[in-house]
Amino acid sequence: MKLILSTSNLMLGGHPVIRQPTEKSNVELINSLRANFQAAQQQHRSGGEENVPETKQQYAAWTKQEDDALYIPATDFAHGLSEERSQYDITVKLFYLPGIPASRRCAHTREAIDLVLRELHVDSIDLLIVSFPGILFDADDDSEEEEMSSDTGSEEPDNFDSIIQTWRTLEGLQEQGMIAQLGVAEFGSERLARFLPHTRVKPSVDQINLKDCCVVPKSLILYAKQERIQLLTHNDCMDVLPVGTTRELLGPGAKGAGILASAPDADDGIQGDVAPQWVVKYTAVVKDRGVVESKGYFALADVGSCVQQQQQ
Amino acid sequence: MGLLALGTALDWPEAKKRADQVRKWGIEQLLANWHRAKGKERNALLWGDEVEYLVVAVDDEAKKARLSLAQAEILKSLAEDEASWKQGTRPQSPNNEHDGEEPPHFHPEFGRFMLEATPGKPWGIDFKDLLKVESNMKWRREVAKAHMAPNEHPITLTTFPRLGTKDDYIKPYYPPSGPALRSQFVPDEIANPHIRFPTLAGNIRSRRGRKVELNVPVYKDTNTPEPFKDPTVNYDLHIWPEDDDVRNGAAKDGHVYMDAMAFGMGSCCLQITFQAKNMTEGRKLYDQLSPLGPILLALTAATPIYKGFLVDTDVRWNQISGAVDDRTREELGELPLKNDRWRIPKSRYASNSTYISQDPRLRKEYLDPDLIIDEDIKKRLMDDGMDDLLATHFAHLFIRDPLVIFSEDLEELDLNKADHFENLQSTNWQHMRFKPPPPDKDDIGWRVEFRSMEIQMTDFENAAFSIFIVLVTRAILTYDLNFYISIQRTAENMETAHARNAVHDQKFYFRKDPFSPRRPNPHSSSGSNVSSTTSSAANSPPPSPSLTPVESEYELMTISDIINGSADGSFPGLIPLVESYLNSVNVDVETRCSLASYLDLIRKRANGTLWTGAKWIREFVATHPDYKQDSVVSERICYDLVKAVDEMSVNEGRNGTVGWELLKGKNT
Repeated sequence: MKLILSTSNLMLGGHPVIRQPTEKSNVELINSLRANFQAAQQQHRSGGEENVPETKQQYAAWTKQEDDALYIPATDFAHGLSEERSQYDITVKLFYLPGIPASRRCAHTREAIDLVLRELHVDSIDLLIVSFPGILFDADDDSEEEEMSSDTGSEEPDNFDSIIQTWRTLEGLQEQGMIAQLGVAEFGSERLARFLPHTRVKPSVDQINLKDCCVVPKSLILYAKQERIQLLTHNDCMDVLPVGTTRELLGPGAKGAGILASAPDADDGIQGDVAPQWVVKYTAVVKDRGVVESKGYFALADVGSCVQQQQQ
Repeated sequence: MGLLALGTALDWPEAKKRADQVRKWGIEQLLANWHRAKGKERNALLWGDEVEYLVVAVDDEAKKARLSLAQAEILKSLAEDEASWKQGTRPQSPNNEHDGEEPPHFHPEFGRFMLEATPGKPWGIDFKDLLKVESNMKWRREVAKAHMAPNEHPITLTTFPRLGTKDDYIKPYYPPSGPALRSQFVPDEIANPHIRFPTLAGNIRSRRGRKVELNVPVYKDTNTPEPFKDPTVNYDLHIWPEDDDVRNGAAKDGHVYMDAMAFGMGSCCLQITFQAKNMTEGRKLYDQLSPLGPILLALTAATPIYKGFLVDTDVRWNQISGAVDDRTREELGELPLKNDRWRIPKSRYASNSTYISQDPRLRKEYLDPDLIIDEDIKKRLMDDGMDDLLATHFAHLFIRDPLVIFSEDLEELDLNKADHFENLQSTNWQHMRFKPPPPDKDDIGWRVEFRSMEIQMTDFENAAFSIFIVLVTRAILTYDLNFYISIQRTAENMETAHARNAVHDQKFYFRKDPFSPRRPNPHSSSGSNVSSTTSSAANSPPPSPSLTPVESEYELMTISDIINGSADGSFPGLIPLVESYLNSVNVDVETRCSLASYLDLIRKRANGTLWTGAKWIREFVATHPDYKQDSVVSERICYDLVKAVDEMSVNEGRNGTVGWELLKGKNT
């Protein structure tokens, strides 16, 4: 079974997450998911159905099952953007998560984009930035970014061939007109140089995370300028949705949403392992006014006893 | 300053007789324009900054700095150049840095020693535009300098330290006590000779029934005489009836006394105007920026010297307020009301008194219960369909008399113009201004002007504060921030901002939680077609019985907490909000670096790592060998200060050069 987690529009969510500059983390995603779950639960509770007997699986009331997907919380995709499509710059960033086989990325990409298009009521996006797991840009080191393995040590760093393979899918979507421009994240100049010859559609954007953005390697600035790749900044973290965090978010207990069963033999929730597959972030900015009208995340996790095994 | 039409300006007794007609016609012009423009939609964010300069002539031999009254010649020469640029020859600029940018515009100001410069074209929100602001400001300074005599400099001090002293502080020299200002300190020639300005100054004095009266508390240093009696005041002058003012106690003990409009309107400010997407958004920004006015005033503090004395206040605001205060003794409450209509609590130049947004978060309790309005004007506006809040706003501005009336303009009412409306609007100098689109310019939308900031000595600082305010407006709209507090608290904050070192020593009322509750309807905030622009249904704030008392919504905060966030996280801080906004939009690396340096300046000004201009000037005076700890800022100190400020505008405190304490800090 698929779990589709959503934050809804963060701009309407009351308290935006204001991060201390020292933090590099996924608090925005996690807090806004949690807040959205709680809001949905609360709305349900105050919906006047107090006399309904407490069922074992309370989450059924505020989530929605559609085929093999459970939407957490239930979303009807009823609200789009308030002005015409042409007024907006829509940027989508797709995080492929560590440990998930690259072979699934084609389907994952379509799934993620599709949710965003439905959410915003549009049929195309302006920029898709993809973030491959395990690529870490190091601004202090002018030589080359390192390839990192995640802390479990059980996965291979994303290899170059799978990046090219994924890029083919993106080029296809771009050629279909669904995406105007493509971008990558955390590519240093050497990786870019290696990557570009393999592309039909060049990335227009390289998004880099810089604690202090005044230390961008000169080589990267020059190379990007030469290749007409725009260097943009971000402050997302690498592993945006670790398994443990996902369990905590969906599990029983004070901080959880009560989706997952409390014990292997309990029937108060879904049984089995949970495996986050991807996270997508979208922002719709009113172009000539610089106002962010819509921003949110979707995340997808597989759950159940027949969760596809992770690639070892 | 507004349009400078020419004509026959009426002296006060005549002008007073025509005041009602101008107000009536102004209101009819407002209504015609409001009907025409209220549905304007989808205007882009455009914004502009105004930088004002003192023109200072430096005499290196005599070691003297004097104000130059060369405004007219400089502007003439600039205008000739502007005309030739338009024909294709561009001003020389090394390495074509300003290719594609329109040449800057220069404007006259009240003081004949002042210049105002604006960018040739308004800025947009394209982040690359933000990068051009500072270099454009520097370009303006270069262009201005190029049209001055070699010993003249455009200096961005708020006030000239020795304006109004006994010596020859102006060039060319004119003796004081002219018929328009009747000041014992400054000559009429200090003002722009355009008939509008002497008339304005003269009519303020006539209406008021005496000269304007500015008393600024002197800074008491160890050798300052006690009690301090302003030694520059002449009690034996008998040229004008107003010379009696000082014999009637106008000059107060312990204060530096000034008696002319030039002491206030001769101050340089940094003002930012934004174009909103529609009237609704403009009204929202007007309200939300209002509580920030005093905070930014204290943060930009740069005015510690008047008339050759260190004073005990850090900002210019109240001096300008007093310098154009045309209220009569009856309006001031000093005499019982007999001839005048109202007691009026504030000068025409003051913190703003109204909220105007049709925002459900605007509670009645935030409004000023004692607001003075002209009920007939309000009725006229509402009868024609204007909503209560906006009608109240204009009915408040229109309690004032028009000060400068040209008889030629009173022959026929032209509803396609806004001259009578602007007559009142532009002589209400509140810290926010809500500007309807000009009737003859179809491509301009509703605008809001943020007016409280003091000019900074360098363009780096001026760019930083301008851009900061722009980013704050984007954060306000993006997060639907709520800064509402009772408007009287903003007026109190404005007073608080005057205290010496208020930025660190004082606390300001500010709203504790700037966030709105979670909103169920996604379109509630975007408001592109909120019906309020066309109907008067939602014309006054809804009652709020179930809400907490307004007093519990705000508290006294330090500026550091307001800007940087409180240590316990209870208040997020304007900079973190702006950073959070920037993290939600695509910003290129180079732009983000520049923005980071601007935000860093503001962060450090707020937390005390960097000094305000006011503190730096005080330290400069205190450590000057010529200073005798008696509050006196001598000609030599003034000369050295001007030289230092001029150098600072070039080197900007880099590598420990002059001014590092307020620009860069120790380690760079």
